[in-house]
Amino acid sequence: MSDFSLLMTHGVFHLFAALITLCSVLVVMSKHPVKSAVFLVVDLFLLAGLYATLDSHFVAAIQVLVYAGAIVVLFLFVIMLLNLQPEQLRGLKFSAVEAGTLVISLVGFLITVVATFKGDQTGLGDGSLDPVAIEAAGGNTYVVAMKLLTNYIWPFELASVLILMAIVAAVVIAKKDKKKTSAPIS
Amino acid sequence: MGLTADEFTIQFIATLVKFAIVAGLLLQIPPVMVWVERRVPAMMQRRKGPNRVGIFKWRIYGLMQSLADTIKLIFKEEVVPEGAQKAFYHLAPVFSVFPAFLIAMAIPYGPDIHAFGTTIPLSIIRVDVGFLFIFAVSSLAVYGVTIAGWASNNKYSLLGSLRASAQMISYEIPLGMSLIPIVLIYGTLDLNKIVEAQSHFWKWGVFLSPVSFLLFLIAMFAETNRAPFDLAEAEGELVAGFHTEYTSAKFAAFFLGEYVSMFVLSCLASTVFFGGWQVPFFSVQKLDDLTGFIGVSALIGHVTLMLKATFFMWLYIWVRWTIPRFRYDQLMSLGWKYMIPLGLVNVVVTAVVIAAFRFS
Repeated sequence: MSDFSLLMTHGVFHLFAALITLCSVLVVMSKHPVKSAVFLVVDLFLLAGLYATLDSHFVAAIQVLVYAGAIVVLFLFVIMLLNLQPEQLRGLKFSAVEAGTLVISLVGFLITVVATFKGDQTGLGDGSLDPVAIEAAGGNTYVVAMKLLTNYIWPFELASVLILMAIVAAVVIAKKDKKKTSAPIS
Repeated sequence: MGLTADEFTIQFIATLVKFAIVAGLLLQIPPVMVWVERRVPAMMQRRKGPNRVGIFKWRIYGLMQSLADTIKLIFKEEVVPEGAQKAFYHLAPVFSVFPAFLIAMAIPYGPDIHAFGTTIPLSIIRVDVGFLFIFAVSSLAVYGVTIAGWASNNKYSLLGSLRASAQMISYEIPLGMSLIPIVLIYGTLDLNKIVEAQSHFWKWGVFLSPVSFLLFLIAMFAETNRAPFDLAEAEGELVAGFHTEYTSAKFAAFFLGEYVSMFVLSCLASTVFFGGWQVPFFSVQKLDDLTGFIGVSALIGHVTLMLKATFFMWLYIWVRWTIPRFRYDQLMSLGWKYMIPLGLVNVVVTAVVIAAFRFS
C-alpha cells in the first residue's frame, strides 16, 4: 500500500471517528426526539463507513440495512405518531430498582454467554482474518457466513434471545406507564 | 488495495471522471423524463402534448418544454409553511435525493477498461457486496418521505408520508426476496460478476428465474411510488401527499429523487435480469481486440445497458397510463399475502433445485 493511500485511510478513519463522536453526543443532547433519531441514523451510517474502511463491506452493508434502514425508521414512526414533545419526555423516568434489575439481568446474560464460549477458538489474532487472507479464502461474505453459521451459531442464536428480552422489557415498562396516566389524545 | 502511486493517481482521476459523467447523466434524467411523461400519454391518447417550445425555429418535438419548466420551478417563490419544523423541512429533499444518487454509484455501467497498465472498473463504487450495498442505501430512501411529511405540519402531508413509507418498507421485503434466487444461482453478491456470468443469452436472469423477475418488477413500481401504486400522492384524497407543502426548487428536488431512483432500479433490473452491459449472442469484451481501440467495448456495453434501462423507464410510463391505481388495502394484501409468500416459495424451490444439481 502506498504512503498516500495509507494516509487517506487514516485520515478517513479519524474524520469518521470524530463525526461519530459528535453525532453520538448530539443523539443524547438533542431536546427534540426526532432530532435524536435523525442523528442516530447519521451515526449508524458513519459507523458503517468505518467498517468499510476496515474492508468489512459485508458488515457495513448489513449495518446500514438493518439499523439505519429498518430499526430507526420504526423509532421515527413511533415518535411521529405519538407526536412526543420535549416537555412530555422530561417526566419519563423509571425507578432505580427497575433500572438496576434490567442492567443486572442483561449483564448477567452477557457474562453467561461469554463464559460458555470462552474456551472456543475465536480465529482472531492469528492472522487468518486480515483483508488479504479473507480475499484468498473466498471473500468477505463467504468468510463471515462460514464463521457465523458454524463456530458462532449458538452465540448468534442467543443474541436473538437477548434482543427478545429487551423487547419484552420495553413493552413491560411502556405498559406500566400507560396505566397510571391515560394516553393523551391529540 | 495493493496499488502503486501511479496506479493510485490513475484510479483517482478515473473516479473523478466517472463521477462527473454519472452525475451529469443522472441530472439529465428528470427533465427528459418529464417531457417523455407528457409526450407518451399524449401519443397513447391521440393528443399532441407539448410540442411547441424549442430553440428559435427548431422545435425538436417540444423537448425544450422541460427547460422552460425547470426555469419556472427554480424561480418560483419559495413558501415555507407556518409551524413547519424548519430544519427538517429543508433537509427532507436532501434525504430523498442522496440515496438515489448513492445507489447509482454502484451500478456497473460497462465492462472494465484495461488501460494505462491498470484496470478501471466502470462503476464508481466497486464492492464485493454490491447487492447488499444497494439494498442498504435504498432502505434509507424512506427517511426523505417520512421527514418531509412530518416536518410540513400538514395532515395531508403526514398521511401521504405514512402511506408512502409503509408501502416502501412493505415492498422492500419482496424486492430483496426476489433477488435471493439470483444470488443463489450466480453464487455472488458482486454485481459485476453477475453481469459477467450472464455472458450467454440463455443464462440471463430472466430465463433462469422468471418468478424473481415478476416479483422484482412489481416491487420496483411500488418502491418508487409509481402508478399503479402511487397512493402516496392520490390527488383525490391527499392533495399531493408528502410534498404538498413544497414549492420551487425543493419540489423539483423530490422530482429528481423520484426519477433518479426509477432510473437506478431500471438499471438494476437490466443488470440482474437482462445481462447488464452484455449484448445478446455477442461478446462485448472482444471488441477492444477486434477494433484495436481501447474503450470501444466499454462504450458499446454502456450504450447497451442504457438501451435496456430506457426500456424499463418507458415501461414505467406505459404502465402508468394503462393500469388504474390500486386501493390501499389491495396494495398491502398484494404485498404481504401474495408477493412475500411467493418470494419465499421461490427462494426455497431455487435452493432445492440448485442443491439437487450440485449433489447429483
